[in-house]
Formats: sequence, structure tokens, C-alpha cells
Amino acid sequence: MTKLKQALSALPLALALVGNASASKAPEDILDELIAKTKNDPYLTQSPQNRMMMPDNPAYEWAAEGEKLFKQPRGPKNASLEKCDFGKGPGVLKGAYVELPRYFADTGRVMDFESRLVHCMKTLQGFTDNDPQIKVRHGEKSDIMKITTYVAMQSNGMPWNPPMNHPLEKAMRDAGRELFFRRAGPMDFNCATCHLNPPGTRIRASVLPNVKIGEEWTKAVSWPAWRVGHEAVRSSQHRVLECLWQMRYPNIMPDSDVHIAIISFWTDAARGQPAILPDMKR
Amino acid sequence: MLHKDPIAHAVAAALLTLFAAGCTATGPQKPEDAKPAQAAPAKPDYTKMTPRELAEYLVFQSGSYDLAQPTQEGTTGRDRLTQDEVQKVCTEVARSGKDIDDKTAERINKLSMATIKYPEGGIKLGDWRKGRDIAWSGFGFRTAHNVDDHSRGAPGGNCYNCHQIGPDRTGGTIGPSLTGYGKIRGSSPEMLKYTYEVIYNPHAYFACTQMPRSGAKGLLTQQQILDVMAYLFDPESPVNK
Ligand code: HEC
Ligand code: HEC
Repeated sequence: MTKLKQALSALPLALALVGNASASKAPEDILDELIAKTKNDPYLTQSPQNRMMMPDNPAYEWAAEGEKLFKQPRGPKNASLEKCDFGKGPGVLKGAYVELPRYFADTGRVMDFESRLVHCMKTLQGFTDNDPQIKVRHGEKSDIMKITTYVAMQSNGMPWNPPMNHPLEKAMRDAGRELFFRRAGPMDFNCATCHLNPPGTRIRASVLPNVKIGEEWTKAVSWPAWRVGHEAVRSSQHRVLECLWQMRYPNIMPDSDVHIAIISFWTDAARGQPAILPDMKR
Repeated sequence: MLHKDPIAHAVAAALLTLFAAGCTATGPQKPEDAKPAQAAPAKPDYTKMTPRELAEYLVFQSGSYDLAQPTQEGTTGRDRLTQDEVQKVCTEVARSGKDIDDKTAERINKLSMATIKYPEGGIKLGDWRKGRDIAWSGFGFRTAHNVDDHSRGAPGGNCYNCHQIGPDRTGGTIGPSLTGYGKIRGSSPEMLKYTYEVIYNPHAYFACTQMPRSGAKGLLTQQQILDVMAYLFDPESPVNK
């Protein structure tokens, strides 16, 4: 515990903003820099194979398909997504992903990337909840996963910077923190059971990222990522679902406020650290 | 209690709305809008709640979780998310970021010790081979999008996720290594009792520990605990080789 506190007190200095300069770097370069800065942090270095495969990340194929889906006129309204406002104005994709979740006046809600994308697919394109375009959230048949990968990549290397200007943004982040520490379920788990341990702590063979170590946590929250074990690109919401499953919690609904609160907290916890998009995970 | 609790108020309001929506055929809502999930009242102002109130609201009233989802133990998702005393206290300790204070720790130790039920025939080591399978299984009690079917096999103990146990396989490191457990500590009646109690309800010794309450929460049967103990104590077990 005390060792951890010492390590944490050194963090703010190291948190110097990584500017737009690194936006042109490849995801693996950003990871390499974090590894160098932390002198081989055990979470960041746990899979040399994945590091080697990053230049050929299959997520790039998903992104290419996502770009087509994004630009194609689709849905009952035969419109593309090019006018979708992800928070930086209609059609602005560069840097949008690292500034989510955020408050949107048109819905009166704090939205994460996925819920915002769904909103645009409904309002601009006319899709409804029953259409497979909206319903299928995971796997290689998911349009949403492909579009997510395409848009997220355009924030690669930029520092996580979710706005905290609107009171609702703070409220959701703060509730997310409460949820992170809330112990429940038959095994009494909270997120901190597994994500607030000394560096290198493992669940069986998996090295666990620590929410208070920015360099670890930015990789942890860098979704979409190719999950080698799943042979699929996965989203932030999918990771929340997976951890909740391990915690023996009941099923969680897509785009729910619990998702958004947790993702608000976890993105804020990575503030200032460069996003690795797309990432590759175990 | 109920009158002072804003969340309880909101629950009551939500129930009333539900009731009204279900019963008034001529109400303003179209029947297809009257599905329970949609019939919730307008969202309260999140910024008027404390973070904790909002967190509880999000868990139980925002439609985020499938609260009706059945569980293997015959309860629902709502029960899984409802905190007992130990979970509440340990949540506050975790949120404070500080170590638990002695008085609270003592209280948790005491009330946890009181939950422990001992085998009628005394604490006798079971079958270490069965115990190994239990210690190395993470199966059981998972629900969400992929429900564990307990008719396919008994739930495991998840011990390997947090402990290095035998030298022959890689375990986790959230908890201390248990390699050589019996060889190092011996198998006195006191050591057997202590170990049974720790596995049954570790908060009896380690208040607000990360370790699950395998006995007290019904995750493992008494016999399964005795089998896991054999895995830890039996000289023939790989743990002690
Ligand atoms: C029982 C342990 C456990 C709990 C509790 C838990 N997680 Fe995880 N979490 C894991 C494991 C294991 C991984 C995968 C790490 C790896 O592969 O190195 C993971 C991965 C993650 C990741 C992505 C990092 C990666 O490498 O895949 C995030 C973000 C995360 N968890 C957040 C959460 C949140 C938020 C909660 C609470 C809702 C939570 N976790 C609860 C065990 C847990
Ligand atoms: C989520 C992680 C976790 C799981 C799962 C877990 N433990 Fe533990 N265990 C711990 C931690 C952490 C401690 C240390 C107690 C503390 O300080 O909190 C511990 C302590 C112990 C101890 C006491 C060790 C000593 O030095 O006296 C024993 C025995 C033990 N665990 C056995 C088990 C067995 C058997 C299982 C499976 C049925 C198990 N544990 C499952 C985390 C876990």
C-alpha cells in the first residue's frame, strides 16, 4: 500500500500533456513510449507477442469497413453519418473520441461514444432498436464495432480529455467512482478488488491494470482493441460487461447510465495520457 | 427510515407510475409505450443527488441492469446487487481510500465469525484431488450474457485466480501464496479450524479483505471446503510436494 502511494505521488509530474504531435505516431509507438517512461511496467509489457502484432492489427480492417459504413447513405432516411456530432461539431472526428463521454444538449444526457453513435444512427439514418444495425453490438457482424474503430482511430495518440464543464458530466464521473468501489454480488467484488493493486498483480496469468497508474490505465481504457483471445475487436461497453460477468453481477443493458458513469470515471482516470487506438489486448 | 430516504421516495414514485400505466387503458400513453422499462417517470435531476445517491439510483432505477434476471441460487439480479452489512461497510472503507480503523475491523470480524457453521462430524480433511479441481475452477454463479448452468457441474472456488497454490500451475497474486501450506504450518486442530474459518468467511480474520466468503455466501458446500482443505494440507497433495 505505501509503496503504491509513493509511486502515485510521482505521477502528476509525469502527466505532462502529450500534445497533438504524437497524433501521427502509430499505436505501438505510443505503447513503446509508455513502456520506456515506466521502465518496463509489468502490465504494459505482459504480452510481447501482442506488441509485435500491433502493426498488423486486424482492427485496421474493421476500421476500413467502418469508414465505408460511415460514409455510405444508409437506413430509411438514406443518409450517411457524416453530419453526426460527436461533441466537437457535426462531422468532426479528429480528437472527438478522447473527449467522450460528454454532455449533449440535444439529448440532455451524458453520452459515451457508443450511445452517441446509436443516437446518430437513429436520428440521421432512421434506424430503430429492432434493426440489426443497432441491435448487433459485438462481433464481426456489428456495424457499430466497425464504425467505432474507424472513428476512435482518429484520436490515436491524443490525451484523454473528457470535458468536466457541465454539472452532469461531473455527476456521472463521480457516480462512476462510487460504482467503482461499490462491493456487491455473491463474491463481494468491486472494480477495485482487481484494479487497485500493486503493479504486476495478477488474476491467474493476467496482469491487472491499476486505475491510479495513468500509464497503465490509458492502455486499459484504450478500446476498441483487438482481443486476441476472442478474435474480435471489442468496445469499452463490452469490457464493462465482461468484468461485470466475472463479478457475478446481472446483465447490463447497452448504452445504460451505469455504463456511461463507469466509462466517465475510467476515462477521467486516464486524463492526460495518450490513447492507444486501436489497441491489441489478450 | 423510508420517509427520510430520497431513493425510497423515488422508488415509491416509480411504482405508482408503473401501477398507473398498467391500469389506465385510457391514459395518455399508447399501450406500446407502457412497457415497464419505458414507464419509468421522467429522470430526476442527477446533479441534485449526492454521488452515492446517484450511484444507487443508477444501479436500481435507471434500467441499467436486468434486475429480474434469475440467479443460480434462486434469487434475482436485484438481490445480487443489494448490499449486505459487510459489503456496505467495506464499500465505505474502499471509497475513503484509507485503511480500515480498528473498531470497525473488530465489528466486522465479530459479525463474520458469527456466520460460520461447522461440519457436524468435525473438521476432517476431504479428498485432495476433488479439492484441487474446486480450487482451480472459476465456474459458477456467472449470469449476465452467459449464464453458468450448475446442472453441468458444481461451482468452483476461484482460489487459483488470487493465489499461487501448487508449484505445478500458475496462480494469481492478489492473495498470498499458499504453496507448501500444510508442510509449513502443520495440521494441528487449531490450524485446521483457522483455515476452515478463513475459507468459510475470511472477514472473521481479515476485515474487508478482497477474498470471497465461500461458505457464508453459499458458494461452496461444507464438503467442498473440506476437500479444498485436503488439497492445502494433505502431504500427498501437489501443494506440499
Ligand atoms: C475479479 C477481478 C476483476 C474485477 C472485479 C474487475 N475486473 Fe476489470 N479486468 C479483470 C481482468 C482479469 C482483466 C483483463 C486484464 C488482462 O488481460 O491483463 C480486466 C480488464 C479490465 C479493463 C481493460 C484492461 C485489459 O487489459 O483488458 C478495464 C478497463 C477494466 N477491467 C475495468 C473494470 C471495471 C470498471 C470493473 C468494475 C465494474 C472491473 N474491471 C472489475 C479483472 C477484474
Ligand atoms: C479475490 C481474491 C481471492 C480469492 C478468490 C481467494 N482468496 Fe484467499 N486470500 C485473498 C487475500 C487478499 C488474502 C489475504 C487476506 C487479507 O489480508 O486480506 C487471502 C488469504 C487466504 C488464506 C489465509 C492465508 C494465511 O496466510 O493465513 C487462505 C488459507 C486462503 N486465502 C485460501 C483461499 C482459498 C482456499 C480460496 C478458494 C476457495 C481462496 N483463498 C480464494 C484473496 C483471495
